[in-house]
Amino acid sequence: MTETSLYVIQQLINGLTIGSTYALIAIGYTMVYGIIGMINFAHGEIYMIGSYISFIVIAGLLGMGFISLPVILIVALIVAVVIASTYGWTIERVAYRPLRGSNRLIPLISAIGMSIFLQNYVALSQSSRDVALPPQITGGWTFGDPSVFEVSFSYMQLLIWSATLLVMVLLTLFISRSRMGRACRACSEDLGMTNLLGIDTNRIIALTFIVGAALAAIAGLLLGLYYGVVNPYIGFIAGLKAFTAAVLGGIGSIPGAMLGGLILGVTEAMTSAFFPSEYKDVVSFGLLVLILLFRPSGILGKPEVEKV
Amino acid sequence: MKRFNKKLLTLSSAICLAGAINAAQADTIKIAIAGPVTGPVAQYGDMQKIGALMAIEQINKAGGINGDTLEGVIYDDACDPKQAVAVANKIVNDDIQHVIGHLCSSSTEPASDIYEEEGVLMITAASTSPTITEKGYQTIFRTIGLDSMQGPFAARYVVNTIKPKNMAIIHDKQQYGEGLATAVKNVVEEAGIKPVMFEGVTAGDKDFSALIAKLKRNNVDFVYYGGYHPELGLILRQSREKGFTAKFMGPEGVGNADISKIAGEASEGLLVTLPQSFDQDPANQALVAAFKEKNEDPTGPFVFPAYSAVQVMTESMKATGKSDPEALAAHLRSTSFDTTTGKLEFDAKGDLKDFSFVVYDWHADGTKSPAK
Repeated sequence: MTETSLYVIQQLINGLTIGSTYALIAIGYTMVYGIIGMINFAHGEIYMIGSYISFIVIAGLLGMGFISLPVILIVALIVAVVIASTYGWTIERVAYRPLRGSNRLIPLISAIGMSIFLQNYVALSQSSRDVALPPQITGGWTFGDPSVFEVSFSYMQLLIWSATLLVMVLLTLFISRSRMGRACRACSEDLGMTNLLGIDTNRIIALTFIVGAALAAIAGLLLGLYYGVVNPYIGFIAGLKAFTAAVLGGIGSIPGAMLGGLILGVTEAMTSAFFPSEYKDVVSFGLLVLILLFRPSGILGKPEVEKV
Repeated sequence: MKRFNKKLLTLSSAICLAGAINAAQADTIKIAIAGPVTGPVAQYGDMQKIGALMAIEQINKAGGINGDTLEGVIYDDACDPKQAVAVANKIVNDDIQHVIGHLCSSSTEPASDIYEEEGVLMITAASTSPTITEKGYQTIFRTIGLDSMQGPFAARYVVNTIKPKNMAIIHDKQQYGEGLATAVKNVVEEAGIKPVMFEGVTAGDKDFSALIAKLKRNNVDFVYYGGYHPELGLILRQSREKGFTAKFMGPEGVGNADISKIAGEASEGLLVTLPQSFDQDPANQALVAAFKEKNEDPTGPFVFPAYSAVQVMTESMKATGKSDPEALAAHLRSTSFDTTTGKLEFDAKGDLKDFSFVVYDWHADGTKSPAK
């Protein structure tokens, strides 16, 4: 293989890795939007909290002398998902439910307030410095002739890919097959009508916040392990990127969020690959503007039908 | 009526008494210490804070300024230019005329506009951007070297000692990082080394895998990074994971034990240009012991510059017998000072006439040793 094609493969691997995690976070935005038509701006902070909790659990277990990595990761995953879901549920209860039915801008403001509150709460309770964890999963494969260009694919990247894929498959099955999933879809089609048909829509809305938060916590654990660093401010940028991914793919559509995340990740990697990396954000957000100009509802979004 | 008069008498005598007590009491001179207390670079704010507070404590212990005592007041600008302006206004409103700070160049610059206009004396112990003192301000000083000194110093080391084949220069697009990176680029280019890459990354980014693949593709064997430790720490860590083994070099903004926490083993062998380690100076050992006693770390690059910033400020107060910023500024320019960071002399712009840097080898446990 030529040097350029090996290089492109390497950047594709990098882009898909970061894109998978954008997708995981983006689903939380898209599910909430799909059902209540609101952007949950505190969602990025849930990702940050998930990352912190998994760090605390991993560091605690390592400190207590546990050495079996799979056990540590599974415990961290469970604790992070449970606590982050509780935060997701609480945000819905505190910042959204009391405001349901009011002007659409009001819950938006309260979500931004919630986001600032959570960020500062973590900064005050955990200090605002970077907290680091030594690499837990090291090693990987390399291929390609080292004298030309050596492509590396680490075990950590494989873990991110497979975990994302597994979660996506489970979520798709949950939405399409289960009773709760059907209720979710019904809510997203017509919230008022679903309520009239005897489905407790408040519960379904709470459920979407919980599911979104659980996925963000998984992303928090994976990215925490991948980068090895958390600070209270990571939620903002991650949230912004994931929100962009959700809009790119068509906000409200779950496959759209997955696709949008991957496209955004790959675009960023390819831009850094062939242009100076400072243009990374210019190109990816420029792409967003272009897609919204020609397909305002996103790549997989359904065109908005005016209800009479 | 009689009773009223009596009351008035007691009241007025009480006021007289209070006045007398006031006159006998020593005044307090407040010194604002402005820098990041929160935010990602709060540890540098800590260095400045412990250095300045220690100086204030020692000077008070030694009898204060002609009988007056000093008081340090902490302000948090979070290294955010907008917050720095708000903090500067607050300091002016709080009637404080002496400031140690700010820390990040991008905060110091807008804040210094306010101090100059309001006639407040500001001495920064950490901001190294040359533009801060280029405006011809009268009350703005610094007790640290400039990027325009540090950049060329690092570049000369690269040219004479490293002699890289393919050099890359990366920066974080901020005033401090890009300023340094540009200074390094200019000097190495003059010496005939053409960097194969000169690129910016976004501060706060976590994923540098695309950048590292590109460095690898360009066969880069030496990277100069202009910026702070959170980004360089991650670049080092991810480079190691991806088998990219070039040598890295950075400015004092990366010279912090946290970089070893973030990068772990990957921080071994990183080159850092830092001001001399003033905590190693035999003359400062009593102070080092005083820091250790309070459980504070005196090894940070800004601790002693902050200490000497307070020293030159208070020496001038003693010499002139005033705390008026303009008189102090005139005195600061007129003479030289013996401080914990050596003999300091200011030029007309408020910069130090001479400030020396040293290249250190960084180690994975967060310590450093002079590079050969």
